[in-house]
Amino acid sequence: MRFYRIVFAICFCVAANVCQTQAQTGLPSLGGSLSAHHTSVKLILSADTAKPGDTIWAGVDLKMEPGWHTYWKNSGDAGMPTKIQWQLPSGVTAGEIQWPLPEKLPPAEVTTYGYETETMLLVPLTIETNSNLPMGQVDVKANVSWLECKDVCIPANQEVDAKLNISSETKISANAATIVGWKNKVPTSFTNAFSVRAWWEKFSTNDSRPLVIEFSPQVITVAIVYTNPDFYPKASDQFEIQSATEKINAWDLRKLVKKYSGNWPKEISGVLVVEQGGRRLGFDVTVPIADESPTDETISSTENSPSMLSAPSLWQMLLYAFIGGLILNIMPCVLPVIALKILGFVSEARSEPRRVRNLGFIYALGVLVSFLAMAGIVIAVKDAGHHAGWGMQFGNPIFVVCLTTLVLLVALNLFGVYEISPSGKILNSAGQLASKHGAPGAFFNGFLATILSTSCTAAYLGYAIGFALSHSAPVIVLIFLTVGLGLAAPYVLLSCNPALLKFLPKPGPWMQKFKIAVGFPVLATVIWLFNVAASDYGARVFWLGAFLVVVAFAAWIFGEFVQRGKRKGISLAIVLILLVGDYLFALENKLHWREMISDADATTSLVNSADGINWQPWSPQAVAQARAAGKPVFVDFTATWCVNCNAIVKPALEKDSVIAKLKEMNAVVLLADYTRTPPEMTDEISKYGAGVPMVLIFPKNPDAAPIVLPQPSPLQLPSSYAKTISDALDRAAK
Amino acid sequence: MAFAASTFAVEVGKPAPDLTGTDINGKTVHLSDFKGKIVVIESYNSDCPFCNNHYKTGAMPELQKDFATNGVAWLIVNSVNPNHPSHRTHAQAQAEMKDKNITANAWIDDSDGKIGHLYDMQTTPQMFVINKDGTLVYDGAIDDKADPFHNPKTARNYVKEAVNDLLTGKPVEVSQTKSYGCSVKYAE
Repeated sequence: MRFYRIVFAICFCVAANVCQTQAQTGLPSLGGSLSAHHTSVKLILSADTAKPGDTIWAGVDLKMEPGWHTYWKNSGDAGMPTKIQWQLPSGVTAGEIQWPLPEKLPPAEVTTYGYETETMLLVPLTIETNSNLPMGQVDVKANVSWLECKDVCIPANQEVDAKLNISSETKISANAATIVGWKNKVPTSFTNAFSVRAWWEKFSTNDSRPLVIEFSPQVITVAIVYTNPDFYPKASDQFEIQSATEKINAWDLRKLVKKYSGNWPKEISGVLVVEQGGRRLGFDVTVPIADESPTDETISSTENSPSMLSAPSLWQMLLYAFIGGLILNIMPCVLPVIALKILGFVSEARSEPRRVRNLGFIYALGVLVSFLAMAGIVIAVKDAGHHAGWGMQFGNPIFVVCLTTLVLLVALNLFGVYEISPSGKILNSAGQLASKHGAPGAFFNGFLATILSTSCTAAYLGYAIGFALSHSAPVIVLIFLTVGLGLAAPYVLLSCNPALLKFLPKPGPWMQKFKIAVGFPVLATVIWLFNVAASDYGARVFWLGAFLVVVAFAAWIFGEFVQRGKRKGISLAIVLILLVGDYLFALENKLHWREMISDADATTSLVNSADGINWQPWSPQAVAQARAAGKPVFVDFTATWCVNCNAIVKPALEKDSVIAKLKEMNAVVLLADYTRTPPEMTDEISKYGAGVPMVLIFPKNPDAAPIVLPQPSPLQLPSSYAKTISDALDRAAK
Repeated sequence: MAFAASTFAVEVGKPAPDLTGTDINGKTVHLSDFKGKIVVIESYNSDCPFCNNHYKTGAMPELQKDFATNGVAWLIVNSVNPNHPSHRTHAQAQAEMKDKNITANAWIDDSDGKIGHLYDMQTTPQMFVINKDGTLVYDGAIDDKADPFHNPKTARNYVKEAVNDLLTGKPVEVSQTKSYGCSVKYAE
């Protein structure tokens, strides 16, 4: 203990000494001779080689030791912003510093805005066109001075430099991606996501006056996905917007403004800060201050009535979850389960009402238990620090193989290859069929419906899931269970009102045929899942097919010789040997079912689709680069397992009208393949919604917010969705 | 909570709140002891490079001496909490007063932050000027250069201006500015 104190005292003295020496000279000492400071600084450039006319980015990287921080352009109640003094060759000019979003640093009584661990201040450097800059290497130098604070504050400065080649071409440097990464942390304008108003709450006779800032989200996903808004003001000599923020409601903030001199400000300028699933984002805002609060009617629509956009309440989201669950019932991915349910109802139609009701509840229980399990997985994934998303399990090849096998077995069962009933007899009569669709069957159907439904999103559902994912565990559980209730509701309702089932024909031998007919949509599901697996395994997926054929053969032996035959013992042994051998040989040895093929191999097949669009693979950098170049960006988030992506969005994109428009706008078209649910994509998707399909259009104006296209409704025709896309493209071109 | 705390107890143009503290010689000091005098209050922490700059360059001791000859009282308030490395025991403070050539009527030990909070002191340095009637006439920065390396003698010193305005019977021209410097090291 004592030892540490001494060490600390020594360090402190050294630090204090350093600043004394500097203070004595009255000038910042030059050169990197300071060893005592707690921040290391370096300069990087986005390009190794640039040509006259180029604007490249310089990044001043500040790495702080643990516990130390440096300051934002408005340092807040104390501190000092970092300064950069450039020493540039003539013909090269530096623009203003672009500051990444800072943090609010405690204590509350002296709040400052700054950076801990690391930040990178970005500065555009322009190489003049008509400069007489000689070709060849030039030195880009700067003196960076900053104040670093922990328990004590130490002013420090350092000379940094980097080399730049002036030539007739541009070559980006190895650091370009790092710079783009930091550029993404600089607040952007997001004007069409929010409308902002500010007004003085009352007159003031002294020098402090309360100000209300109201952010009205213009897109519902914005109101749901973003939470905890705050406002970091730009610094001013005349007045100070206090760091403490009082929330009037979800999107209205009250700030106290302290005036030093002159009149009350007429406008405020700063950064709107929001949280999104543990991440913070900033949006530049400048807004005039009205002298009075807006008129009564406008207030009542934003404050008194729970406006849909201003503050999504849990109740509203629960309603959305329920409606979303209901709609899932008619999504194509749940279709085979509907067929099974119809079969169930037909066979039960003449049973005792009580029994029918009970089976309805057991089905609902199956759905709810499955949703609860899913909520648990989502919470665990979130707790582990990853982003969770709807349908993310389809990114796991083991899951896909198991589900494919399971659905195949359901189809074979419907075809009568084998039975699930203990007796194993062929079921002819209605009573027998009913007994087969007993409690375990109903529960299983609930499970299957849930699992298959997660590959689809539906209207409203995206909002509810997005809301859940950005909230705490109890909210996640509540929303997921409510989706489950919505999914199960129609069947529970039908089971409780047998009168509604009167229209169904009398059970009879026709049902055996109907059962087989129902098997085909289930078989179609097997093919769809097989296609998902194909993108995980590439050409190796052949062995999944081989595996499934042997499983089917084993099922037939089981039905024909174990259940209905005489030599049960030996037949069962053959079934087991077949399955074990099949697993070891096909799955383990040939398919390597735990390993996916590499990303590069997987995406090329998708990117080179021959639809006349020059698809490029999506990445945040690709978006940033295209936007920096002033091009509109079109991003299609899609996945092999996503039914609506392939049934509605993809054909809509292949319409000539859409292709022509994309080409005419010279848009950069990016394909975001979410089949394997890469985490950075989950990140991006959860910014605007909950799952695929999702289409984002970034307008030509690099500061404008992206347009999030509405999700296609399940019964929408591709041509009508193509119209939606075209309209959005028209807006983006402006 | 934090919001309520920032509705200010101190307000320029209003009577300065009476403060009571113990100085580094163990003497009790009240603001009212200086009634009829112009009083300057300085929020102080010499480990802070912004404060240190004003002492190292000799600007602050010079101003203090100049004011003392004109009958202006000067109170130093040190609100650094006792667990902070910049905290000064009374003995250390007495030595520092000599060492830094400080001329002040009292160096008040405010290690519990009571006066700091009463006056809503946020930075070191932060300056207050109180006229002979006990009205607060200036609250803010020492000068217009928020920089730990500048030469204070070339900066516009708001405290000097305010006191000179008072001495010559003129209204104080700049009565409020945003103070700059290190945060006051209150106990957490």
